[in-house]
Order: sequence, then C-alpha cells, then structure tokens
Amino acid sequence: MGSDSRFLGLAYVTPYIIGLLIFTAFPFLYSFYLSFTDYSLMSEPNWVGTKNYEKLFTRDRTFDKSLKVTLIYVFSTVPLKLVFALFIAVILNYRLKFINFFRTAYYVPSILGGSIAIAVLWRYIFADTGLVNMALAVFGIEGINWFGDPTNALFTITLLRCWQFGSAMVIFLAALQSIDKSLYEAAWIDGANQWQVFRNITLPLITPVIFFNLIMQTVQAFQEFNGPYIITEGGPLKSTYLLPLYIYEKAFKNFEMGYASAIAWVLFAIVMVMTVIAFWSSKKWVYYAGDKRS
Amino acid sequence: MKRSTTALATVLALVGFGANAAELRMSWWGGDSRHLATQEGLKVCGEKHGHVMKPEFTGWSGHLEKLSTQLAGGTEADIMQVNWPWLPLFSADGTGFADLNTLGEIIDLASWSDAAKASSTLGGKLNGLPASQTGLIYWFNKGTFDAAGLAVPTTLAELVASAAPMKEKLGDDHFPLYLVGEDVSKWMQNIVAQNTGKGLIDNETMKVAPSAEELVAAIETYAMLVEQGVTPAWPDAAAAGNIKLHENPNWAAGKIAGTYVWDSTYFKYSDPITNGELIPAGLLAVDGSDNDGVYRKASMVFSISANSENTEAAATVLNCLLNEPEGIAAMATARGLPASSVAHKQLADNGKIVAVQTEANNMVLDASGPEVSAFAEHPEVRSILKDTMELFAYGEITAEEAAGDIIMNVNEVLEKY
Repeated sequence: MGSDSRFLGLAYVTPYIIGLLIFTAFPFLYSFYLSFTDYSLMSEPNWVGTKNYEKLFTRDRTFDKSLKVTLIYVFSTVPLKLVFALFIAVILNYRLKFINFFRTAYYVPSILGGSIAIAVLWRYIFADTGLVNMALAVFGIEGINWFGDPTNALFTITLLRCWQFGSAMVIFLAALQSIDKSLYEAAWIDGANQWQVFRNITLPLITPVIFFNLIMQTVQAFQEFNGPYIITEGGPLKSTYLLPLYIYEKAFKNFEMGYASAIAWVLFAIVMVMTVIAFWSSKKWVYYAGDKRS
Repeated sequence: MKRSTTALATVLALVGFGANAAELRMSWWGGDSRHLATQEGLKVCGEKHGHVMKPEFTGWSGHLEKLSTQLAGGTEADIMQVNWPWLPLFSADGTGFADLNTLGEIIDLASWSDAAKASSTLGGKLNGLPASQTGLIYWFNKGTFDAAGLAVPTTLAELVASAAPMKEKLGDDHFPLYLVGEDVSKWMQNIVAQNTGKGLIDNETMKVAPSAEELVAAIETYAMLVEQGVTPAWPDAAAAGNIKLHENPNWAAGKIAGTYVWDSTYFKYSDPITNGELIPAGLLAVDGSDNDGVYRKASMVFSISANSENTEAAATVLNCLLNEPEGIAAMATARGLPASSVAHKQLADNGKIVAVQTEANNMVLDASGPEVSAFAEHPEVRSILKDTMELFAYGEITAEEAAGDIIMNVNEVLEKY
C-alpha cells in the first residue's frame, strides 16, 4: 500500500474519529472525572474524592435495591431471550410454506420493540382491564395485578424484552444456515435422532454466535430504560427501577451529575466484569472453525 | 432584475430595519393549544415591535432536563417559561435570571399583585412574572354523585360518608375520590395545614415544619380513606400501569368521581368524561380546622435570560405578550387565568374566560392557608414524599416510620440550601 492511499484512508475515517473523540471518548472520560465531583449542572464541579462512591456502597439503599433489580432482570431476561430466539430460529430454518412471511413476521417485534409506542401497548395489554386479564377471565381465572404487585411487575418488563427476540433470532438463523449439510447427512446415516443432531452438531457449531448474542444482549439488558420508564416508571416499590432509571433521575431530575456519573461508572464496571467472565468462560464452551479441541 | 431585487431587500433588511431589530428565542412546554396560542402571540408581538421571534417548544416531559442543560451551558432562550418550583434550583440567590425590576420602564409590573411578584422574587431580584396563579382543589363528577343519590361533598366527613352508599348504589368499583401517587403527598399537606396551620417546609428554618405526630395524623387520615373505600388502594390503582387519571377509562366512565388537582387543569380532566359533569368543589374542611390549607402557587413564570444580549428587546416582547391587547388576545387562557390584571380584564370583557375556570380560580384565590415553600416541589423532596407514602400504602412501613423518614430525608435535602 502506497503512502498516498494510506493518507486517503485516514482522510476517509478522520470525520468518524473526530466525532468519536468529541461525542463519545471525551464525555466517557469526562464522566469519570465528574464521578469524583459534586457537579450539579448549575455550578462548577468541586473535587470530592471518593465520597460519591462511598455513599453509593455504604448509605444508598435505593442503589442497593436498583442494582439487585437490575441483576435479576439481566439474569432472567438474557437466557430466556436467547433460548426463545434460538428456538424460533430452528423452526424458521425448516423449509416451510410461506417461510419468508414468517421470518419477517417474527422479526418485526425487534424493530418496533424498543419504541415508546410498544411500551405503551404493553401497558395496555397487561393493565388490570387489559387483554391478558380479559383472556384469563374467559377461562374463569381471576385477573392478575401485573403492574401493581411488586412480584409481578418485573416479569412483565422481562416479557417485553424477550418479545424483542428478532435481532438475536436473525443472527441465529444465519448461523444455522451456514452449517454444512453433509454433517447432518452423516449423522442421519449413523442413526442419530433430531435431539442428538441438535445437541451434538448444531449447538456446538453455533457457539460463536451464541457467545456473540450473549454479550450483545447482556450489554443491552443492562442499558434498558424505555420499557420500565413508560410502563411502570420504576414502580411499584422500585421493583422495576433499573439502574439506568436511577442514573436518569439523579442526573436530570435531581441535578446530581457527579453522583449519577459514579453510578454510571459502577454500571460500566459491572458490565465489564460480566464481559470478561464471559470471554474467559468462552474458552471452555465456544468452538471456532479449525478448533483442535475434541 | 430578480438578483438586484434580492440584493436590495437584503441591504434594506440589514441597514434599514435591522438597526433596532433583534432575533429572540422563546422556550416553553405545553400542549397543542398552548403551542398555537404562543406562536401566534410571538408572531403578533414580533411584528408589532419589529423583532424576529424564534419559538422553541416541547411537551412537559423532558422540558426540565432540556432547560437545565441549556442553563448549564449558557445557551438558554432569551425568554423562558419556567415552572415556579424550579426557580430556586436555577437561581437560588436570584442571579440565575435577569432581574425584571430593572426593566420596569419597559414591562408594566403594576399588572401583578405584590404577592404574585414576591412569589417569584429570590434574593431581592424579580426572576419571573407569573403567568397565572393556581392551586389544588377537589373536583367532583356531579353525574356520579347524582346517580348515587348523593350531594357533592363540602367537608371531608361528607366525602368519607359518601363512599359506602355510592358503592351500594353503583357498585364496588365506584370511588368518590382518586388519591394515588404524588397526589397523596399533596393532599396530606392540605390535611396537615388544616390541622396545624403549617406548610410542609418552614422557609425560615429550612426544615420540615410539622412534627412527626402531626404528619402521622395526616398519614392515618389517608389510611382511613383507603379503608373506607373513599379512594382505591395504591396497589389496586397501580394495576393500570403508569397511566394518568385523565387517561383512565374509569375516570371517563364516572366510576372514579373525584380528584384533587390544580384548578388550571380543568379541561384536561373534564374533556375525557363521557358520563357526568365535572364541577369544582373547593377545599373540603376537616373538623375543627380554622383555615382551608390551600396549596397555592404561581403555576409558571416567564423569565428573561441573564445571558441574553437583547434583554430590553426581550422585555418589550414579554410585556406585549402579557400586557398589550394583541399579545393578550393571542395568548388568551392557554396558561390558565392570567395573573396580569390587564390581561384578565381584557379576556373577561371579551367573554374569553369560561365561567367554571373563574369559579375554580376564585376558590383558590379566596382560600386561606400557610405559605407554600417552593422547596415543597423540589424534585428530591417530591421523590421522598412519594416513595415514603408508597412504602406506607403497600404496608412496608408504619405511619410513624413514614413520618420519621419524611422528616429525616427532607431535612437532609434542605440542608444543601
């Protein structure tokens, strides 16, 4: 590659790099500085050392509650969503009639899912007089207090997230379609049944995609905001009060930018640790093409 | 020819008309009717005084976040609609906004009462002009009470007594009042004020004014309302999700027959009602009280940016919007009944004020009660009150624990000021 073309390449990516530095890297690093200040938007930030973090870990009961809710949400949503997405992808991998229509239909929720309108729709579906309770009434079952009961509220938010399985499903579907058919044929000839084929051929061969989806869905779940904000506003009794809602309230309602930055950095650290653990564990269960492990 | 005409127009604009013209931004929140009225007001006032007006408007949700970000960056509009409780957040010492007292030669400040101006004065500086005065009162759906064969309550005791016969006649899903979420803590402040003559926060000491025992009495009164079926229990109401009362089908159908909200929000609550008629009922007296305990405040104020390069031009436009015939006619009652006496008279003379709005507003203005501190609506104070009352409503804490938590946590917030 000549030096001219190298410079040309740099010129092409320069606008992106400038944007990345100004709008992502600088705010990212500056928020770390702010987490050690008492910045309140309306006054200059004053250095307070680790005071924000000390308060966070020793005296803030709302943070404890919100962190617990967030972890329950992530650990319930991500596996459920991945299993469901894979299940649907396996079905849509068959050569069925109207398969393209079904693939589109199942993908649509993931396009709409993050929107405010769908969150509002979800609120109506699970309201006391909503569709779900009406359906239960048909079978003589008493309506359930989905939003007003703290034990049920997080479940409804989790369901909304799981319903948005489309993007993970499409990635699984692409992975399933790339598996060499001769492997399946060899297995059939050896007398393997459907489950054995799935367990011993399909699943190992798509582990890189499972791993990718796991990381992406985990990060997204930690960032969930729209659903709980619109549907329950974090209630009742903060049972759906995920950390992003707490960060938002502290930053933009209470003007505690320094404190909100500290919460955001704790959230970032948690996501980082989760990701590192996932990468570390991937050596034991993710199989790449050309892998020598048996 | 076309090019020369354009050039001439540009020169005229820059040299001739541009000498005194300023480009001004104005920001506000609201609904469609307010947006249309304010845009029209800016158009007529901009043309009248030769200024170019740039409107910036949003819905209520997110406006505080937008305004605070702009103020922090010094990029706020020249004229701003500011919620009254936000004033101490942005301008604790009065220097966060322009001092309108210094613009008295441009703005006719005599149109506002001294009390109205005092409510938006911080550190001796007039930080904003109230658009209207508003307060919390009871509103009842007369149709529901008529159907139950009941008179609309005038005292708290009558309200409590109406629950059982209403349910007996119309069904268990009927309630004479709806108190859920933040309404509970606002309503409690009325009960405390009637019982003790105290507001929630004492501006002198910057501490919670009522004692724990006085708060407990109000909290237990709320518990009594729930037990008697006057208002739905919090968990039952929450089953509808994060939904406002005026969007609730039970409100539209008249199954919920009362609310305790701002007098200026009449249309928001009356419009959805398909069964009945919403009427203002003022403040229901508690036995033995010697005041109404009214929670009255400036609903919102108009402020001028302390950073504006065109302060006098902004003052000219603001005066036009609030005190001059063209601006008054355009703005009408988009922000409730105007606090400006000039505007109020013009609209009343022209029949632009609906009778029920005047009736409700008079109930607020005529009612007695202790001074309401702007810190009672501080975002953190509001969160503390709501969260604590939610814990109580769900049976997680006792009334005594709730009162103790309110005092301790609110005082901790007030210590910062």
